[in-house]
Amino acid sequence: MKIAGHYRSIVLVYAATIALLLLAGAMSPGYLNGGHLGSVAILAAFVGIVALGQTFVIIGGGIDLSVPWVLNGTAIFVTLFARSHNGPLIWAVPLLLGTGALVGLVNGLGAALLGIPPIIMTLAMNVILGGIVLLLTGGAPTAPAPSVIRFAAVGRLDGFPVVLGMWAMLAAGATVLLSKTAFGRHLYALGTSVRVAEFSGLPTLRTTVLTYTISGLTAALVGMLLAGYSGQAYYGMGDPYLFTSIAAVAIGGVSITGGSGHYLGVVAGAFLLTILTSILATLNISSGTLKIVYGSAILAAVSLASGVPPGLRIGWRTWLRKSSFTGS
Amino acid sequence: MTLRSSASKLWIGLGRMDGEWRYMLADRVSFIVACVMLLFLLVTYRAIRKNVFSLEELNLDTAAAMTLLLAATGQTIVLLSGGIDLSVGGMISLGTALAATRFGDRPGTEAVWAILIVLIGLAAGIINGLIITFLRLQPFLVTLATWSILSGIALIVLPTDGGTLPAGWIAFGTASLVGLSSSVWLLLALLLFWGWFRKTRLAITIRATGSMENAVRLSGGSLILVKMATYGLSGIFASLAALYLSIQTGTGLPTAGNDYILPSVAAAVIGGVSLFGGRGGLVGTIIGVAILTIVGNLVFVLSVSSYWQPIVSGVILLLAVLATSLTEKSVRRGIV
Repeated sequence: MKIAGHYRSIVLVYAATIALLLLAGAMSPGYLNGGHLGSVAILAAFVGIVALGQTFVIIGGGIDLSVPWVLNGTAIFVTLFARSHNGPLIWAVPLLLGTGALVGLVNGLGAALLGIPPIIMTLAMNVILGGIVLLLTGGAPTAPAPSVIRFAAVGRLDGFPVVLGMWAMLAAGATVLLSKTAFGRHLYALGTSVRVAEFSGLPTLRTTVLTYTISGLTAALVGMLLAGYSGQAYYGMGDPYLFTSIAAVAIGGVSITGGSGHYLGVVAGAFLLTILTSILATLNISSGTLKIVYGSAILAAVSLASGVPPGLRIGWRTWLRKSSFTGS
Repeated sequence: MTLRSSASKLWIGLGRMDGEWRYMLADRVSFIVACVMLLFLLVTYRAIRKNVFSLEELNLDTAAAMTLLLAATGQTIVLLSGGIDLSVGGMISLGTALAATRFGDRPGTEAVWAILIVLIGLAAGIINGLIITFLRLQPFLVTLATWSILSGIALIVLPTDGGTLPAGWIAFGTASLVGLSSSVWLLLALLLFWGWFRKTRLAITIRATGSMENAVRLSGGSLILVKMATYGLSGIFASLAALYLSIQTGTGLPTAGNDYILPSVAAAVIGGVSLFGGRGGLVGTIIGVAILTIVGNLVFVLSVSSYWQPIVSGVILLLAVLATSLTEKSVRRGIV
């Protein structure tokens, strides 16, 4: 139902992604072979999975800025707990996923129950988490990631990346949640208007808290995968995912004010952003330029999504005159 | 009369007060709480360390707090208009990067580039304001994007920490006049600026925009000019913060700005500036900055890990926001 409503924007994102892919293939010949596409897809999966949680939060009318340190903390602690062995993962993985979910739960309660604006709640949570992680570890370097995690992140079965399978399952789950469940319907209603949702007797508190919990969970999951991908955890590895997760959601056609959009678009958004990044990487650009690209991508996507601005529609001169400062 | 009974009488009295009085008190609640908190922190600080109430300590503390205070001044203006400016982080980073790479040895180039950096801040802020009004996007989203863009430019200008600033420029940080350091004079200048600015038509319109944006639009005010001025001022103050940070550190720090985003909002909110616009002022923000600075000092004096500082500041911020949102809720419930 909801997919049909956003059919056009989702198709557009996929078309743009394919066009960009062909452009990349034209620019560098080896780009389109299976092995290389696989490694691009792995990177897209990391962005896409973090963006999954972010999608739920944003559709519900919130935002999760605590992603960087949930991700970073999980990456650091999974390598610290495991000390390069696979055995401790049996308890470390559930424990850390649970902690990620708990952080999300606290975010959700702060936003929905206590009425703290989501930006402030999650930004403060990010800073607090950063302090706690550094306090507990003292900034010490961590051990290399255990082999199971490394396999989950970069391993391939018959050339097919394992993490892509994981992402596909999560995407299927998200689609079912959004399109087929009461939770999904409540979420769209909540994102459209909190007040109406409340007056209609929808479980707004439960719905909001659940979205942040999902976001904490996905950020924690990607934290472990990224530790496997890089072979170790380092401080600051979560920072880019704040911008990329929001950018992927915005490019994917999800309204940043909530209430509309679908995760299927965000999947394409994650691919588009990753392909764009990898094209720029072949041009040998710096991390500074990447940041500019992320920022511009967010701006471009949200302004395209918001449609023709009123200023351009009626002619900006008329508009400026109409709203000119008349004083007293 | 016991304290308890008089407190309950006050509470009942509040319930019977006219709407206007209740609003005025609700306006001040978080400010008063901040003052009490500052007093408590000062007493604690005094108990642990001698010479807290000395001129020397004042000079040192204002110098330590000035970068944050400048950034928070801009943030206060934006918060009053009902927005938020996350791009101050990017602007501070860019400002120090430019200062570290462009300031030559001759005093002339310093002055030119200092002015240029302030103008870049103004331009970045005006662009923020334009995008926000022209495309009707939320301030946090636009400034999140420009934060990323500005910090990207900062990293291109100066890829890693480094560069040295001229000695003459750094000397400003230790300069003093009649026993008061340059930072104390800057604080006085800021207070003078606020005393003038808060009564200007622009400031009143900014506050009105924060209280009720539609009312400003309908009564013929130009939102686009107001927002351009609001974010432009925030950009100016962010670049001033960058210049002060470069004086203090004597080097370029292309990622340093990120550490000032949340504290700039926190200082204002702790001091009673409403996140929903329209309420608060610079005096509250100064108290908020003082609270955060003394928390930092206490962490240092107690010689516990410096990582406690963000944790404590974050928790204080959440408590302050919580207190504000609860009082605003209860006032609204009382009126309606």
